Amino acid sequence: MDFSKSMSVAASGMRAQTERMKIISENIANANSTSATKGGDPYRRKIATLTTDFDRELGASLVNAGKPLPDKSDFRNQYDPGNPNADSQGYVKLPNVDSLVEIMDMREAQRSYEADLSVMDSTKQMMAKTVDLLNK
Amino acid sequence: MNLPDVPLLSMLRERMTWLHQRQDLLSQNVANADSPGYVARDLKPLDFESALNGASTGSQMRTTNARHIAMTPSHMDKFEDHETPDQASNPNGNSVSLEMEMIKVADTQAQFQAAANIYAKAMTLMKTAIGH
Repeated sequence: MDFSKSMSVAASGMRAQTERMKIISENIANANSTSATKGGDPYRRKIATLTTDFDRELGASLVNAGKPLPDKSDFRNQYDPGNPNADSQGYVKLPNVDSLVEIMDMREAQRSYEADLSVMDSTKQMMAKTVDLLNK
Repeated sequence: MNLPDVPLLSMLRERMTWLHQRQDLLSQNVANADSPGYVARDLKPLDFESALNGASTGSQMRTTNARHIAMTPSHMDKFEDHETPDQASNPNGNSVSLEMEMIKVADTQAQFQAAANIYAKAMTLMKTAIGH
């Protein structure tokens, strides 16, 4: 009997959540990045995806971070005629990032990460208890 | 008589294997708590009769020839599992509730500790019997 299976599964979950966190921080950091060229599109929000893959060798469903997808929603428009990249009406396109949504996503990723961590902790204690039997 | 043939010890071993396999399954549920379309799974409860059957050293299919096919390959999980959604599924089809899973993990851990303690106690009893 070995506990490496539950450890590996929890670790795969933590890895996937870290990857998700990376994409969320990218979105937040680029929340105001406008296009470098006149009339071009600004930063487009990315959506982190998670996929379940069955690992045959381990015999368990692992979690992997999938390819990030672009958010198809419309860009925000801001009236800023002084901006060199503004269009003829004086509007500048801003990224379709909503920081509130990003922060909610971040909290969710954090919560899942903590849950994985506590599963790992609990598995570790079960393992220690089994090893303790050798002492008796 | 081997040590694992003692019914008390083999029943405890059965229980600990079940709890260990459940822990594997629960960690999969927690890891997949955000995966679209994932349905939570849990082991079927260990009932007394099957624990007793597993504990007895009754007749079993054995492989006595290299060309025989083993009935229970070692890599296969011993206990059956089934889908047990914790909650009505989200719009993305996921039905894992982290809170429910945390309760199950804590419960599994406590029960495993209890089984390990009883195992240790049984060993102490045996030692007493042989005068150590």
